[in-house]
Amino acid sequence: MNTINLLSLNLLKILSLFVLVFFIGSISAAEGGPCKDYGDCDDFNYSLNDTESLQRGAAVFLNYCYGCHSLQYSRWNRVAKDLNIPEELFAENLIFDLSVRPGDLMKGSMEKEASAEWFGVAPPDLTLVTRSKGDDWVYTYLRAYYEDSSKQYGVNNLVYPGTAMPNVLADLQGNQKLVCKNIPIIGKNGGEKRNENGDTVTKEKCGYLKVSDGEGNLSQEEFDGLIYDITNFLVYVGEPAKAERERIGWYVIFFFVIFTTLASLLYREYQKDYH
Amino acid sequence: MNQMFSNIFNWVNHRLPIVNTFERHLSKHPVPKKVNFWYLFGALASVVLIIQIVSGIWLIMPYENTEEGAFASVEYIMRDVDYGWVIRYMHTTGASLFFAVVYLHMFRGLLYGSYQKPRELVWIFGCTIYLAMMAEGFLGYVLPYGQMSYWGAQVIISLFGAIPYVGESLELWVRGDYYISGITVSRFFALHVVALPLVLIALVFLHLVALHEVGAGNPEGVDIEAHLDDDGIPLDSVPFFPYKVLNALVGIGVFMTVFAIIMFFFPEGGGYFIEMANFEEANPLVTPEHIAPVWYYAPYYTMLRAIPDPLGGLIVMGSAVAIFFVVPWLDRSNVASIRYKGIYSKIALALFAISFITLGYLGTVGVTEVRKTMSLICTILYFAFFLLMPFYTKFETTKIVPDRL
Amino acid sequence: MQEKDKTRRKVLIGLTSAVGLSGIPFAATPFIAAWNPSAKAKASGASVKVDVSKIRYGQQIQVAWRKQPVFIVRHTEESLIGLAESLPKLADPNSDSIDEPYKNLSPTRSQSNEYSVLTGVCTHLGCSPKYYPEVEPKAWDASWSGGFFCPCHGSMFDLVGRVYKGVPAPTNLIVPPHFFDGDILTIGEDNGVA
Repeated sequence: MNTINLLSLNLLKILSLFVLVFFIGSISAAEGGPCKDYGDCDDFNYSLNDTESLQRGAAVFLNYCYGCHSLQYSRWNRVAKDLNIPEELFAENLIFDLSVRPGDLMKGSMEKEASAEWFGVAPPDLTLVTRSKGDDWVYTYLRAYYEDSSKQYGVNNLVYPGTAMPNVLADLQGNQKLVCKNIPIIGKNGGEKRNENGDTVTKEKCGYLKVSDGEGNLSQEEFDGLIYDITNFLVYVGEPAKAERERIGWYVIFFFVIFTTLASLLYREYQKDYH
Repeated sequence: MNQMFSNIFNWVNHRLPIVNTFERHLSKHPVPKKVNFWYLFGALASVVLIIQIVSGIWLIMPYENTEEGAFASVEYIMRDVDYGWVIRYMHTTGASLFFAVVYLHMFRGLLYGSYQKPRELVWIFGCTIYLAMMAEGFLGYVLPYGQMSYWGAQVIISLFGAIPYVGESLELWVRGDYYISGITVSRFFALHVVALPLVLIALVFLHLVALHEVGAGNPEGVDIEAHLDDDGIPLDSVPFFPYKVLNALVGIGVFMTVFAIIMFFFPEGGGYFIEMANFEEANPLVTPEHIAPVWYYAPYYTMLRAIPDPLGGLIVMGSAVAIFFVVPWLDRSNVASIRYKGIYSKIALALFAISFITLGYLGTVGVTEVRKTMSLICTILYFAFFLLMPFYTKFETTKIVPDRL
Repeated sequence: MQEKDKTRRKVLIGLTSAVGLSGIPFAATPFIAAWNPSAKAKASGASVKVDVSKIRYGQQIQVAWRKQPVFIVRHTEESLIGLAESLPKLADPNSDSIDEPYKNLSPTRSQSNEYSVLTGVCTHLGCSPKYYPEVEPKAWDASWSGGFFCPCHGSMFDLVGRVYKGVPAPTNLIVPPHFFDGDILTIGEDNGVA
């Protein structure tokens, strides 16, 4: 077999291996239930090369979340470096504790015992939340709060019913409520049910999330964008080496494809001795 | 200069059989001249073993084998140690691929009757290696001390409790404490890092020595030793170097490509290689919603769950591994390779493979009534493959095996 | 075998070996790099900042940097003038045999005219010398003009850490990289001003 055929054969093998492994790699979301009452979690696609998004996410996190939640495995200077923020600028704007040195771990602002007393359970460390719960989960959770007067802080969350966390971003999002909607009935053939006049017949269904217009400082789109940035930042914090890992990976695979092709040719050459 | 080097070499070689051993076991060792890709998995397994040892040694350096420090030290490796993440992922990917390769290696054995006389001992050493690997993998998974490390350990150690009379004391003795704690972690560390690797290396050595004594098999099941040339070398063989080495090199190339794809793009394997729950530090007060083992234990986990009685489940699970050891004596066929066996063997092997894979899938998902029934059926099929073997291999019609390759 | 085949084999062997071997340094890199100081080591080895304005004249304070004691001495004018007296007793008054960040810039051996910054580790076997600033006869030197005395084996250094002749210690006390920014002294890096 000549070189071109062999190279394309190897490439085809690699491609199918990749597809197979990718398929295996994407099965995890199939398990029903992580987003509980919300249904299936909304899809989240990280973009670790979007430095601006990561910077915005970091800023929002440090302003709104770091008051209660630590990122105890992450270091300040690493975040500044990876997000392309000069250390001084970073320290001036985003490090609120003056005793912090740039190489320190982001141990958080609250004592664990104290916060456990105040909230009933200590706000968990969030360094690895996107790896243990999933980035889809985090993205959906932060957008699934709704008013619930029966709860301690007046809010509940469809993704994590009974959460002890208040809706910290309520002023940005506005107050989300659970509402009922009139939705069309879909028949077995996939078509909408209609009455004699040709109008669509509707049925009332509850459990939808809705923010009243005009509430909240951000529009729904802007708010979703904000949550995207926070989640993106948390994906970064969960594994700072992720972007580099994927970048290096291409080179390594390329190397092994070349090596395998050459080894293949060499092997076949020597096979002639006994075939 | 050359003369001096030559003299020194000869002095050593006179006292330590370097050249002889090298030629007998490596360069001139005769191997069957025509094998297929199924025969590469042994070499790949030794490659993975080396990868695991080297990456493992480097992981021990920054790892803290204490209850307080373990989980944080893994994140330290992932973030603060230069390229620590490479070494960590190398080790986790290697663990999963070790089992993948070994399962395929074992399947080759079933396909081509590699366990038949005179290779029974090679097979038995191999089964022992598999057993040691299962222990090694379990012990290793506890070390990062995440939620799944803790709760997986809890489940497996409680299996000891199912043994009558000695169960509870045994459980306490294995744990070293009244609940899983740092004491358990540090002793598992010693076993995972020193004891079992030494055992594995010794077993692999014995496995290879036993293999070299009788020579490797081939997909046709032909005995190449039956036709020798004037020097006593089998006619249907080629020397290991360069032919088998080059063959292995291709296999290694493909394997490392897969290794790299997983390591750099899907190290968590969709939650099957590194489980999501393990990114949360061990918490004795909170049980994860689904306790599932890593994928390579899943078939046996399904069997365990399929039997309601704990002791019964333990016995069935143990037998499922133990039965591999006696396959050389269950197979009564007069031919070795599936190519020449009858239709019953082919159906049986196919059913075995399907049920093993299904059992694996079932071990990773939650339990439902339908799945329970499927688990039982697949467990029965699994055992039927072995227990009926003496019968279907004896009574089926086989084809004539050629004389030469 | 044909000549063409022999060449083909040679070429293939060469290429495969070249590609294969070229991968080795890349494969080795993570293992070698993993031995570099980690972020934790760099953080704890990081520079230390000290506000030196509160130090009294003639006083010595001690701070830790990279697990070593660093002496910061604030000299009086007289003691700096008095340095000349101990000159004949010194083995290496100009620090010729060692490297120093601010060599020969100031009598204090530092960037400042008032303060000395010295690693408090005796250059003999590593004990920590003690500060004896008083100009008075001492058991180890009848004409002591102030400085450091190491209790372990009797090495002596003057007030700016320069080693005496005839003592076990071979070289002057090391001056660590440092710089002054107003009243704030940073130990661990210099700002390039020689």
